[in-house]
Amino acid sequence: MKKTLEVLNELKEKGLIKDYAIGGAIAALRWTEPFFTRDLDVFVIPIKEYSEKEVIEFKKIYDFLQEKGYNEWIEQWLIIEGIPVEFIPAEGISKEAVENAVEIEFEGIKTKVITPEYLIIMFLKAFREKDKLKINLLLQQSEIDMNKLKELLKKYNLTDKFNSIK
Amino acid sequence: MNQQDIKILIKENKVITLKELYKEYEKTHAQQAKLPFEEKIKILVDLQKIANSWGKKDIIIWKIS
Repeated sequence: MKKTLEVLNELKEKGLIKDYAIGGAIAALRWTEPFFTRDLDVFVIPIKEYSEKEVIEFKKIYDFLQEKGYNEWIEQWLIIEGIPVEFIPAEGISKEAVENAVEIEFEGIKTKVITPEYLIIMFLKAFREKDKLKINLLLQQSEIDMNKLKELLKKYNLTDKFNSIK
Repeated sequence: MNQQDIKILIKENKVITLKELYKEYEKTHAQQAKLPFEEKIKILVDLQKIANSWGKKDIIIWKIS
């Protein structure tokens, strides 16, 4: 994990990405009790801004990682220092979430993790059973800024969906 | 009798109600939520090891350091 984060930070330092933040289950786990998951979801803001019709280019990232010897793929995950990593382009709500992510440390390595309020919005968008469970865990166990959450629910038109699972 | 009032003998001379037991569970979960991130990742790796040993061989056990 430590080495994986170092590689992710290197992507930013080398100017291959604008920014990144950990999202998904590992971000949720930062704010809740530990639970099982397989992979590390990394939300990435590309250097270049893309329009909705354009194909987002991650080739330079993968080329760089391949040069470093990371070429083992399992399904959609690239194995980086023993951890299956999925790179997800950050756009819309996820871009805003990365921009508002908080800095944390793992064994002395700095990284960014998406905050509970944005995670709830992102899980509401995905809305699988496992996402609903994570929303409930976040609501029960993390310190939620309710004003911020309400503002985001309104902005992304998710208030009714949120109320349906409470 | 309310189901929450059912009494359970959990160890010698220690009887608690179901309601108290649920409260203890909640307390434990809340405490676990406050663990350092590094500790939580160690627990996650333990869970991955368990899943792997139960036959889920496609689960990759993460390297921490």
